[in-house]
Amino acid sequence: MIERRDDELSRIYRDAEGPRPAQRVDDNILAASQRVAGARGRPAGIRFARRWGTPVALAATVLVTFTLALMVFERQSGLEATAPEARRTDRQAKVLPAEPRADQPGTPSPLVLRPIAPAPPISQALQRDPVGQGPGESTVSRGGLGTGQPAFVPEVPRASVVFRKREEAKPALAPPVADAQSAPELRQQARPMQAPAAAPAAGALSESGATLQGSGVTAAIADRLAVSEAKERTPEKWLEDIRKLRTEGKATEVERELAEFRKRYPDYILPEDLR
Amino acid sequence: MREASDEELMLRYGKGDAAAFEALYRRHRLPLYRFLLRQVGNKDTAEELFQDLWMRVVNSRGRYEVRAKFTSWVYAIAHNRLMDFYRANGRASFLSHEESESVLEDLPAVEIAADLRLDRKRAVERLLAALGELPDAQREAFLLQQESELSVEEIAAATGVGPETAKSRLRYAVAKLRASLGKKS
Repeated sequence: MIERRDDELSRIYRDAEGPRPAQRVDDNILAASQRVAGARGRPAGIRFARRWGTPVALAATVLVTFTLALMVFERQSGLEATAPEARRTDRQAKVLPAEPRADQPGTPSPLVLRPIAPAPPISQALQRDPVGQGPGESTVSRGGLGTGQPAFVPEVPRASVVFRKREEAKPALAPPVADAQSAPELRQQARPMQAPAAAPAAGALSESGATLQGSGVTAAIADRLAVSEAKERTPEKWLEDIRKLRTEGKATEVERELAEFRKRYPDYILPEDLR
Repeated sequence: MREASDEELMLRYGKGDAAAFEALYRRHRLPLYRFLLRQVGNKDTAEELFQDLWMRVVNSRGRYEVRAKFTSWVYAIAHNRLMDFYRANGRASFLSHEESESVLEDLPAVEIAADLRLDRKRAVERLLAALGELPDAQREAFLLQQESELSVEEIAAATGVGPETAKSRLRYAVAKLRASLGKKS
């Protein structure tokens, strides 16, 4: 159905002066249209960044964290793989510096037995030892033992050093003075430490030297266990341990423990039998 | 080079091409504005409706699909906007289909007066005055035909009535306008 236009009317209608919208109306409409088109037509890069910026940042953070964790883990694994056996020996030496009789009936396990003694010398040795020291270096040659401090401490990796310093910052958890009797033993153990530095061939490593090289992470963990155990030990339990030592006839140990106890708990009134 | 169709321009605008919208706007702004102005008879109201109409076009850019001519679509929007305006102002004076047809039968055929054929300015004045006297629906049909160049079917679609109703309105409007311009034949 097509209705023909009335051409005559159409001609007259078209002769009419054409009204126009105001310029501001044109401007408003065109500005709005461009604004909307601009919002839609943003560069692909900006749109991509807006859409993926946050997920990518999160993924990058996770990746970096994971990589760092992996690196630390690998480093620790590498240290452990260097001398696992020696480390174990070292662990025992550190936990039981003066009494290596862990298999004696009625004797607690090495970790439980005397965890406190090694901690202060380690901390003190670390204080003298710069944080940036490499794992193969030794403070022994720099006079670590000359002061009567244990020589095996400086081999702890950097992370452990930091941890240890943090531990030191806490209130004294263990007596700060090293046992005079254990010092010669420690000196003996530490002496071979210089060998790896001079001749790093695996065969040339003595047990103690290897211990010093590979003990880092495990030693740090064990030390922490010892320290925290000392922290947990109540005065009563401590005194009980001292009594046991006395029963076993370890007079020197008893004296040392009592001295440590007095330092740790100066206000504690000792029982009659231990005065 | 072939000029882009209205539909192509609108689709391009939907994809962010602001220049396409501007071309579309330049092409249709005067007919649409005249259509609205002659329907409402007030410049401010016409501009308000005109701006609102184009904003609807802008906001519909993402949903636009080529189902009909762009002109049919945009004049349908204009029609709906006018209906809103009429309702808001108590001006719902559209004739029903039956009324327009019954009135149409009574209209005599009219010849445009010879003096008006020569004096175009006066003819225009008379025509526009008569246009203002027409019922809204008939005026709308006539304006749609003149400004948008839509067919009767398209006018019917744009105004939401049947083709017969659109045709009746259109014929009635033309008869009345001719009557205002001339002498009875």
